[in-house]
Amino acid sequence: MSTIGCNEFLKQFAAWMEGERAPDARAHVRECARCRGLVEDMDAIRQTAGAWAAEEVDPPARVWVSLRAQLEQQGLIHREVHAEEPSRTERPRSWFAGIFTVVPRPALAGAYLLALIAGSFALTGPSAKQLNESRWISGTQDSTGTMSAQLQTAERDSISAMAGSDPVVTASLHDNLAIVDNYIALCEKSVREEPENEIARDYLYDAYEQKADLLAQMTERGVNGR
Amino acid sequence: MSTLATLRNHCHWKAAGLLVPGLLLCTALPASADRIERHFKVEAHPVVTIHNPNGTVTVRAWTKSDVMVIAKRATTEVEVDAEQTGNRVDVQTRQVADTASPEDLRTDFEISVPEDAELQIHNDSGGVNVSNVLGDMNVETIAAGVDLEDTAGYLTVKTVGGAFQCLRCAGRLEVSSISGNFKLIDLRSYYVRAQTSEGNILFNGSFLPNATYVLKNYSGAIEVRFSPGDSFDLSATSLKGKVHNEANLTPSSHHHFIPRFGNALFGSYNSGRARVELNSFDGTINILKRN
Repeated sequence: MSTIGCNEFLKQFAAWMEGERAPDARAHVRECARCRGLVEDMDAIRQTAGAWAAEEVDPPARVWVSLRAQLEQQGLIHREVHAEEPSRTERPRSWFAGIFTVVPRPALAGAYLLALIAGSFALTGPSAKQLNESRWISGTQDSTGTMSAQLQTAERDSISAMAGSDPVVTASLHDNLAIVDNYIALCEKSVREEPENEIARDYLYDAYEQKADLLAQMTERGVNGR
Repeated sequence: MSTLATLRNHCHWKAAGLLVPGLLLCTALPASADRIERHFKVEAHPVVTIHNPNGTVTVRAWTKSDVMVIAKRATTEVEVDAEQTGNRVDVQTRQVADTASPEDLRTDFEISVPEDAELQIHNDSGGVNVSNVLGDMNVETIAAGVDLEDTAGYLTVKTVGGAFQCLRCAGRLEVSSISGNFKLIDLRSYYVRAQTSEGNILFNGSFLPNATYVLKNYSGAIEVRFSPGDSFDLSATSLKGKVHNEANLTPSSHHHFIPRFGNALFGSYNSGRARVELNSFDGTINILKRN
């Protein structure tokens, strides 16, 4: 049974990410889905950040694994083609400690979503142009499936975080979230109808990116109590 | 007026020069306060940050080497913090009581800065107006509109639902929104990138030689007005909508990627010196003669 709440856990969060995990904090993470999600997100960001530190933008390792599996399934690559070496995702602890102190958590969460989207979009490079229509559809669905699920989770968290904020701001954010969702639906429909339409796919990816950005803003407003 | 109020309204810290490091903090104002004025002595290229969730932010340039902050707050439920660290001035509002309503937290700012000041402004609802400031600028809002006039530098503006208007802006401009409408009037910018999802975009002004203009939306209208003396290379594509053109275009000497889908228009007007890209998902693109 956890004896601390979310606020107390957040105070210990930097220490948690440095490996100092008090029993109360462990208990809280086990019981609180929101904080557990935060921890998972930050772990993923930490992996991604290593690539940034190496001046190369890579998605999290699990995205690479997913992409490789999809590419293999579609016959575009073979088993012997390896993803980035795992060692690249390992980085000194001090780097993360440094960035954590200067970058707000919602911004990192948003960065993670954007990184996820960037990784997913890697599927749609020039090599994919040779695919037939069914593969286009399949590829697009596969590439957007992961981020769509992530965005749904982020949306639930963001909306709950907004409770108690300025109603004008909250209404504006909700209205605009609906607008973006509508565009995502329109673009998905367009991609389904014209699978080889690269412009439609670009608009779809832009819309996903907008949604990730908007959710990060909503979370930030909620966390800041506005 | 009480002595304390008099001191508060005439609190000048001109003696606090930049050689004195540290923090100038003016908080803990009495409950009767509704107008707060602060002055900060700064050097060239100061950085001014303003964080005001609710209320208007008006920033004007003046010739003094001072930053003057005038805050008018609705109630004492909101506190105004203004502090200087070196050549940087940070201004923000802070909620005092958890029970305060959003209207109680409203604070309007009028801020005067040297014209070379760099600005960073966050404002959720209310509005942002900036005029005659030539330094770089970053503005982020949710529902608040943003009006810039006679500004320059590297301007980045991001709103969620707020409208954006830029009058005679120079330098580099990047603006994005989801449902905000954009009006870009008589720009002198060499690089303009504007993207809104549901909003309309109006560009009315001359295209500078060698400048780049990229305007994009999902729906709504993109309207570009050109003059006979303009010279630009045009690429206009609406995936589901229409493209209306009044410019007499000649085949472009530049290579364009011709999309297989949507309605697209390419060509050069006069010698094609500026680069103009207009893109919409299902909106209408209008390229019209300027009246």
